[in-house]
Amino acid sequence: MLPMISGRYLLRRIGYSGVSFLACVTLTFFLLHLMPGDYITNYLLWLSNKVPAEMVQQFYEQMGLNLPLTDQYILYIINILQGQWGYSYQYGLPVFSMIMEKLCWSLVILLPATILGILIGTVMGAWSGWRSGSRKDLALFNVMIVFRAIPEFWWAIMAVMLFSFSLQWFPLGGYSSISILSTGLTIADVLYHAILPILLMTFFIATGNYYVMRNSMISVIGEDYITTARAKGLDERTILWRHALKNALLPMVTITTFQCAAIIMGNVFIETVFSWPGIGFMTTEALRMRDLPLLEGIFLLDSLLTIGAMLLADILATMIDPRIRMGNDE
Amino acid sequence: MNRQLIFWVSIAVLVMYIAIALAAPLIAPFGPTAITGTPLEPPGDEHLFGTNDVGQDIFAQLVFGARVTLLFGFCAALLSVLISTSVGIVIGYYGGLVDEIVSRAIDIFMPIPMFPLLIVLTTFFSPGILQISILMGVLGSIYGIRIIRSQVLSVSQTCFVEGARAIGASDIHIMSRHILPNVMPLVMVKFVSQSQHLLVMGVGLSFIGLWDTTTVDWGTMIQNAYSSGGMALGLWWWILPPGIVVIGISLALAMIGYSIEEKFNPRVGVNRL
Repeated sequence: MLPMISGRYLLRRIGYSGVSFLACVTLTFFLLHLMPGDYITNYLLWLSNKVPAEMVQQFYEQMGLNLPLTDQYILYIINILQGQWGYSYQYGLPVFSMIMEKLCWSLVILLPATILGILIGTVMGAWSGWRSGSRKDLALFNVMIVFRAIPEFWWAIMAVMLFSFSLQWFPLGGYSSISILSTGLTIADVLYHAILPILLMTFFIATGNYYVMRNSMISVIGEDYITTARAKGLDERTILWRHALKNALLPMVTITTFQCAAIIMGNVFIETVFSWPGIGFMTTEALRMRDLPLLEGIFLLDSLLTIGAMLLADILATMIDPRIRMGNDE
Repeated sequence: MNRQLIFWVSIAVLVMYIAIALAAPLIAPFGPTAITGTPLEPPGDEHLFGTNDVGQDIFAQLVFGARVTLLFGFCAALLSVLISTSVGIVIGYYGGLVDEIVSRAIDIFMPIPMFPLLIVLTTFFSPGILQISILMGVLGSIYGIRIIRSQVLSVSQTCFVEGARAIGASDIHIMSRHILPNVMPLVMVKFVSQSQHLLVMGVGLSFIGLWDTTTVDWGTMIQNAYSSGGMALGLWWWILPPGIVVIGISLALAMIGYSIEEKFNPRVGVNRL
């Protein structure tokens, strides 16, 4: 039986999330709109170096960019509350469906990578933490520090160079072969392109989780109840599975929830190096083009996910661990 | 492996990087953007690490790039730690209404995703690395305030703080002489790990091209070499050096961070009973 959490706490927590969301939306809106340069000048300058003034004016009027910023802001808030996320300047498509399409592509990599990464990282971290101080633990720990200190994009570049370029085991990038023009998109082909990014992403997530799990395990081992369990004469296996692991997994719940939320921006580097048509790739391009509605949509989704995950993590933690009384200040 | 040795080696590496960044004009034989040789010259006597596709000296770029990257990483981390420490100590020590207001504000700002915000901000403030690092510092401090605050809360309960108050020490005296030294290890760990994190992130941002592209830094160097197929053409001296220097500083900072943490946090280094 999970302990109930008080309705008042829940309500207050949800209230905070709402305010957070509003603050976030406001912040991103103003930042994006105050950004130097805009779509029409950035894009057209790229095509030709002279933009007719009346064309710029027309664009501003069409997109409502000539209105005062406060009016634009009110319009924007009303629109998103009605589920209208606007249309991309660049593609003229509804932002929401564009994001969803790209999100699917991102998920092809991130879903397996997140699951595998969390599993591998947790298992290794628990193993290492349980043996903390031993030669094996220290060896693994040091290797992990080194792995983590190397930037993600550097791993990606090196992996492409080694596995795709030199060994030619995997394609150099993209999400499908040129042959799909005649055969259509096949799952096998997409998977073939996705393997290397998935492996890399799994690797990053696993190394991150390893450290958290190891630390958590070590601090649990130092607790009095473990000493008590040992004093009672329980065998090590029981202590590990029944006492240590259960408690050590608690911080992992929070971390895991966050990781699921970070999914949307988590792999900008991987997507850039592999030219994978996901959200991260789209974001950098939209930024370069100053495609405001698209950017706003991406950030909106991102903040929704992050704030939702924080809420979920807090509630889960309170439900799992009766010792935590969050909101009442630790 | 000897921890102590690793720690001192890392410190030495760090000092070396800082020295190189400070003395960049003395060390580098050319300016970072000066075209001083034929394009794609392999490493030789005149150009220690060769030249890139427009004939700029790679060694000079590396040396000057250190300035940008280190400045960003350390400034931002320093600022973030300064803010989180001072705010954390003040609200943790005084408690009451101040604590309530700041804590609620943190509750609201915490869930705002930082990475996309950072990307926008870098575009926003492209001309100045310094401005970006200030912003990063402010944003990055939010989470730290919480950690420092909870540490201060437990330190404030200790006997020596009560004793100091009993003999009539002023609040400022208590905060700076009694509480600060007790949260210092935590602050140091945060500073080191924060600077490593930000430094790598800065290089990453410039790698994906969301940085001021006119300044030469390690990220743009890697980006240039990578997108022009430097590695595929076998021009290793173009892409490897910036990558190696990034890994070097990142590794050194990581090692220093873990060493300090192990030294001050007995739990982390605990052996199996």
